[in-house]
Parts: sequence; structure tokens; C-alpha cells
Amino acid sequence: MTDAGPKTATIAGDAGGGAVRRTGRALLDACDVVGGMTLLQWRILRAMIPPTFDYDESLRQLYKVGVLSVGVVVATALFTGAIMVVQTGGYVRSTGTTSLVGWATATAVLTEVGPVLIGLMFSGRVGANNTAELGTMKVTDQLDALRLLGIDPIRYLIVPRFLAMLIMLVLLTCIGDVFALLGGATAGRVVLGIDFRVYWQSVIESHLLDEFLMGLLKGFVFGGAISIVSCYWGLRVEGGAVGVGRAVNNSVVTAAIAIFVTNFVVSVLWS
Amino acid sequence: MELTAIPRAVGAFVLSAAEPPRAWAVLLSRSARALVRRPPPRDRLLSQMFDIGNRSVVFVAITLGFLGAISVFQGVMQASRVLPDYSMVGATLINVMTREFGPTITALMIATRVGTGIAAEIGSMVVTDQVEAMKVSNTDPVEYLVAPRVLACLVMTFVLTVFAVLVAVAAGALVGYLRFQIGFATFFSMRLVDWADLWEGLVKCAAYGVAIPVIAAESGFRASGGSEGVGWATTRSVVNASFAVIFMDFIIASVIYLVTG
Repeated sequence: MTDAGPKTATIAGDAGGGAVRRTGRALLDACDVVGGMTLLQWRILRAMIPPTFDYDESLRQLYKVGVLSVGVVVATALFTGAIMVVQTGGYVRSTGTTSLVGWATATAVLTEVGPVLIGLMFSGRVGANNTAELGTMKVTDQLDALRLLGIDPIRYLIVPRFLAMLIMLVLLTCIGDVFALLGGATAGRVVLGIDFRVYWQSVIESHLLDEFLMGLLKGFVFGGAISIVSCYWGLRVEGGAVGVGRAVNNSVVTAAIAIFVTNFVVSVLWS
Repeated sequence: MELTAIPRAVGAFVLSAAEPPRAWAVLLSRSARALVRRPPPRDRLLSQMFDIGNRSVVFVAITLGFLGAISVFQGVMQASRVLPDYSMVGATLINVMTREFGPTITALMIATRVGTGIAAEIGSMVVTDQVEAMKVSNTDPVEYLVAPRVLACLVMTFVLTVFAVLVAVAAGALVGYLRFQIGFATFFSMRLVDWADLWEGLVKCAAYGVAIPVIAAESGFRASGGSEGVGWATTRSVVNASFAVIFMDFIIASVIYLVTG
């Protein structure tokens, strides 16, 4: 009975060895991962130069990545908006400023909370799935079989996934924003007792086009980051079922770090 | 035939939607009973706590650090539109971190790192028949695998949340000082935090800390059929656990708002 812990060697470092050695190894692993992802991105971009990607596979990925994620995104967004409204409840009760609820909720949802939470759920739903799928193909030698047939796995498998996630996370962020505002309106009515009209007036009068566009840009950046992270870990899988599980774990962890770091960078550069 | 088709479809949908929560409740009650009847040995508990807690420290510090930094940045940007008074930014950040973002985002990170780890580990054991071997040798897999993880995750969620709030507030204070010249004495103000906020945060920690390992373990036990099954189980675990965190956040926040009102 092996009760081996989940080894996320790249993030946490291996146990054993001195503190200096552990830190060094963790840093080297992190450099290895970042370098590998940069190379993968470069190979994807180069494979796209004559745009000859597989039409059927692209459509299949667009459907799988986008359409099948709508349920998760809508459910997440509804509750996200509702949480934001409930969180303003304390201030509203002490100051009586119901007209600010729509503004506060919409600003938080459109700029930060919406894109980040939708991105995290997307990473769990699509990114993890993608890593598992590519990893299963790797450990069952299907990637080698493709190469044997003279088909470039990057062009056939990775480019459609990259494009699908890039496009679909932007569209899903759009849908999610709408449903987050709807969830906020409902929670405002049910929990806080704020009239729909007051809420929507406050949202509309805040003129949040800039914030909305920044959220979409974040969706675009997160989509690219999640696709590269998940493809990288999927292509690196070794060692059967255990390896696939470990790769999915690494994939979602790296994607979460990427989301928070790029979120910071985009927000600071935008303003 | 035509008449029964629609009610049958509705019934099947309700049953399939109610199935995961039922399985979670069963697993939760079984691991709670196992914990009461035969507490896990100390060394196994400690090794689980190490895996769940210590190995997540760097990950939680990076993500929550950036979250705290960007919160201050956005807070100042919004405050400067109304009037350029930044004295409340720190107090507001500490309040929001304590009762909302600290517990919830930390729990999402735990669901991401620890939850998928548990699902992958148990899933691998299921598809390699190790769980069956346990049952044959009269070892209860729930008692051996799930109960220590639930207890360890419950404890470590509190620890990691406290740590995460400290990191986020420190990162926010650093951004406030370096970029917007907010003094540390102004920033570290606890005047917006009262006991109700602290309790809200702690209740959330307790709920998330139990829910994440139970949901992840249940996904792991459902794995079947090689590496594809393990991949499916880990994916299912991270989606279900993350959504459970967001859902419980809404329920707990609403109930506390309505009760204290």
C-alpha cells in the first residue's frame, strides 16, 4: 500500500536535502517549467504562420471548450455577482446608500472578480480536462503514432486548442459578466431588499465600458495562459495513470498562479 | 408512452442532479464516524497535514500576495475618483480579506492544489485496484484514506487562511506604501474589523475545510478505467470543489447578513 503524497515537485520542491539545496532545486524546476512553456508558445506561434490548422478538430475544440463550459460559467457568475452584492450589505445598512450597490458590484465584477473567478473555473473545467486528455494520449503512445503518420501534433492537436481557449474565454467572460450582474440584481432584491430599478440604474449610470473591456482583455490573456499551461503539462506526462493525475494537479496549480500574476500585470498596465 | 416521457426525463434529471450531494453526505458521515470511533494515528495525520499545509505555503503566498496587491491598487483607483483620501484603503482591505476574500480565495486555491491531489491519488489507487485490495484485507478505505485527510484539511484550512490574510495584507501595504505613499500606521488599521467579521471568516474556513476533501475523495473513488479515468476524476474534483466553495460562500454570507440584521 503506497501512500505517497502528491508530488508537485515544481511548486513545492522535493522533501529531503538541505534548505539551500531544496530552494535551488525548486528555482531550477520553476525555470525549467517557465522555459518549457515559452518554447511551447513559440512552437505554437510558428505552427500558425501558414494558417493550415485542422478545420474539423478546431470546430470540435471550439464546441468542447466553449459550448460545454457555458453551464459552469453561468452558475459561477450568478453566485459571484450575488456574493458581491451581499458583501456590500453591511455598508448599505450602516450608510443607507442603496444607489451605490450597482456601481460597487459592477465595478468589482467587471474588472477583477468576474474574470478571475471565471478564469479559475475555466481552468478547472477546460484546462484540467485538456491536460488529462493530452496526457492520456501521451501515455498510450498516440502522439508518437501521429508523428509516425507524418502529422505534427503541435499543428493538429495544440493549435486548435490554443485558438479555441483564446476565443472562448473572451466570449464566456462576456456571458459571465451579464449573468453576474443578473445574480447581483436577484440577490439585491431577495437578500438586501433593493429594487431592481435602483440597481440597474446604478449599474448603467456608472459608465463601465472601460472596465468591461479590461475584463475581456483579461479573458483573452487568461485563455492563452491556461491553454499553454495545460498543453505543456499534458505533453509532459510520464508514467501511466499516476502521472496523469499528477500532471492535472500541476496544471491547475500553475494556471492559478498564471491567472493571479497576469491579472496583476494587466490591471496595472491598463490604468 | 408519450405521456410518461417528459415526467420520466424530469425525474431522471432530478435524480442525477441529486446524486453527487447524496454521495458527499454519505462519505462525510462515514468519515466523521470513523474519526470519532478510531482517530487516525498521529504520524499519518501529521504527514497529511504536511502535504496539505506546508506544501501549499508557497502557492498560497504567491496567489494571495498578488490578490492583496491588486486589491489595494484597484481600491486606490476607485477611491481617487471620489476624493483623494486613501486613509480607509488599508482598513477596508483588512475587513474584506478577513471575512470574504481571505477564506474564499484560499479555499479555491486549496481546492485547486490539495483537492486535485487527493482526487488524483485516490483515483490512481482505485484504477490500480489498491482500494479493492484494502477492502479484501479488511481495511476500510474511508477510515484509512479519507478520515485523516478531512481532519488534516480542516485544520490546515484555518492555518493557511490566517497565513494568506497576513500575506495579502502585507503585499497590499507594500503596494500602498511604495506606489501611493500610504504610511504603514495608517494602513494597518483594524477599526473596520469586529468580531462578527472574524466569525464569518472562521465559519467559512470550517465549511470549506470539510467540503473540499470530501468532494475530492468522492471524485477519486469514482475513477474507473486507467489514466483516462484518473484525469476525469481530477477534473471533476476541481470543478465540483470550486463551485461548492463559491456556493457555500453565498449561503453563509447571506445567512449571516440576514441573521445579524
